[in-house]
Amino acid sequence: MKGSLKKDQVQKLVLSGIGFVVLLYVYFSFFLGPLNKGRATAEASMADLQRKLASSKSEMSKAVSLDGQAKTATARFAALKALSPEGAPIAWFPPRLKILFANEHIDKATVRLDGSTPYKEPEMADWNKFSWVIELPQTDFATLGKVLAQLENNEPLLGISRLNIRVSGDDPQFQQVNLSANSTLLK
Amino acid sequence: MALHLNLLHEEIAEQRQRQRDPLKIGSMALGGIGALMLLFYVFKAYQMIEIKSRLGSVQRDWAKVEPTVTAAQKRSAELTAIIGTTKVLDTIVEGRFLWAPLLQTLSRCVAPNAQLTSITGTVADDNKAVTLTMEGMAAGREPRAAAEELRQLLSEQLAQSYTEVKVEFNSLEDLDTLVNVAGANMAMARYVIGVTLNPAPPAAPNSTAPRLPKK
Repeated sequence: MKGSLKKDQVQKLVLSGIGFVVLLYVYFSFFLGPLNKGRATAEASMADLQRKLASSKSEMSKAVSLDGQAKTATARFAALKALSPEGAPIAWFPPRLKILFANEHIDKATVRLDGSTPYKEPEMADWNKFSWVIELPQTDFATLGKVLAQLENNEPLLGISRLNIRVSGDDPQFQQVNLSANSTLLK
Repeated sequence: MALHLNLLHEEIAEQRQRQRDPLKIGSMALGGIGALMLLFYVFKAYQMIEIKSRLGSVQRDWAKVEPTVTAAQKRSAELTAIIGTTKVLDTIVEGRFLWAPLLQTLSRCVAPNAQLTSITGTVADDNKAVTLTMEGMAAGREPRAAAEELRQLLSEQLAQSYTEVKVEFNSLEDLDTLVNVAGANMAMARYVIGVTLNPAPPAAPNSTAPRLPKK
């Protein structure tokens, strides 16, 4: 039979066609696919590293310049941080104030912790606002003014939010003082 | 004309048939395509090896500088945090209200014929307003005038250091009792003075004197 294919030849051709399609699938999926994928991953990693390398120089120069600029802030921060010794503030803050008052001959001063609240600012995550109630049972006005000036100078992170001065008993020379103060201290 | 007999006709036909066999042609084509695909794969694999080599080189470069860069980034973050915290702490330090200067001003205003029996002061949460309530007694021939004198002096003195100063009587009443001041009996008045002020200092007067027009 000249010019036409035999049945078994047609079968072979069809099978060969199917085999060819399978071969193409295997080639692209299992040979070229992983190769292309690996190449894309390597190129992405390389681009990322090159970007990091390029930015590393600016990062380092930025750190150096920031170090120079932040000298004042760093010194100031260290000084403010030094005002909060280690340990719970209730352990060291009231005695510190009592010594200050005692130096001005104000005895029997009491300093009580009223509460503490964290700051909302993210920069102040390590700091708390402590509220204190300070009672001075007997002092004279001039001494009170002097001791308050010392307190405000020595404790820059302390602010008096409420003050009450009233005559103490029968002696108008002496006053009884109640203070509400807030201090910012390390947690 | 000589008779030409082709005795191998069948064999030649079979040979031609074999040469035109589509299976054979298909196999050859398949082999060709397979060879091309293999070449392409080899080319791609070579490219891949080259990229891997470049990546390795970049990774080595990065490994050299990475500790320094990481340390620099860490230091930058640390310094930025310190600067931010110091700014907030400075705001707290500078924003607080100082009571000592206020008490000093009050002590300057109270005359010998006036007495303060109680002072209560509060600072608003935003540190923008201070409220004072002062109770006391004034003595004199005109005790109300003595109390008014104290109020005016307070207003005048406080306005030098603070803004939005308001000094007002909350109450002012005469008392029946007399008090002996420097050997003379004086009438007394009890007063309650309310003070509100803004801790911000008043604006400094303009130092440059206005130019006088030339005559």
